[in-house]
Amino acid sequence: MPSQEPEIKNHIRRLRFDHGEMTQDQLAKQAGVTRHTIMALEAGKYFPSLLLAFRIARVFGAPVEQVFEYVEPLPR
Amino acid sequence: MSDSEKWAWWTLGVVVLTIAAYGAYVAFVKSGHAALVFGLLALAALPASRRRYFPCRHFDERERAIAGKAALAGFYAFWLAFAGLINAIGLIKGWNATLTVPVWTLIETLCWALILVVGVQSLTTLVLYRKGPHA
Repeated sequence: MPSQEPEIKNHIRRLRFDHGEMTQDQLAKQAGVTRHTIMALEAGKYFPSLLLAFRIARVFGAPVEQVFEYVEPLPR
Repeated sequence: MSDSEKWAWWTLGVVVLTIAAYGAYVAFVKSGHAALVFGLLALAALPASRRRYFPCRHFDERERAIAGKAALAGFYAFWLAFAGLINAIGLIKGWNATLTVPVWTLIETLCWALILVVGVQSLTTLVLYRKGPHA
């Protein structure tokens, strides 16, 4: 069910598996963050900065909108 | 568990140990100044120098954001307690009263303030690592 708050969803988990089952640790090292931050991102517990979003997208060789998706909030 | 969470658990443990030691001192020893037990707070510096602030350790943006919010929460708690204490003293003793307190009372008050700040800071750190989309 869509939330009433705006959300940023991401497809990091799928992209990791599409890229040779890349581990969270490998992605974290390439993006310059800790594995805990990747875990939080995948769990939707953290919205990254633009800089980190672009760095992650670059790791996957994809445009940032393929990795992160803005979900419109429901009208009240 | 991240290094910051380990730091928070350790610091919280030190805070609880210090409060327990203070309570035990006041309950059983009764004589002397309980301010001595606040020396236990020095234990909080151990992981800080070896882990959290290790020179080679770099915080990423999420860790920095959480550390900043936790420090702010500690500061807010201190400010609230400070404002509450000042107003309570003013209301109870009168705003023109002169207070004479022993030095050890001042030291104990400062130590309690430190306990409040690091306690709130470590609790906030633990909560933010577990909850909240913006943590």
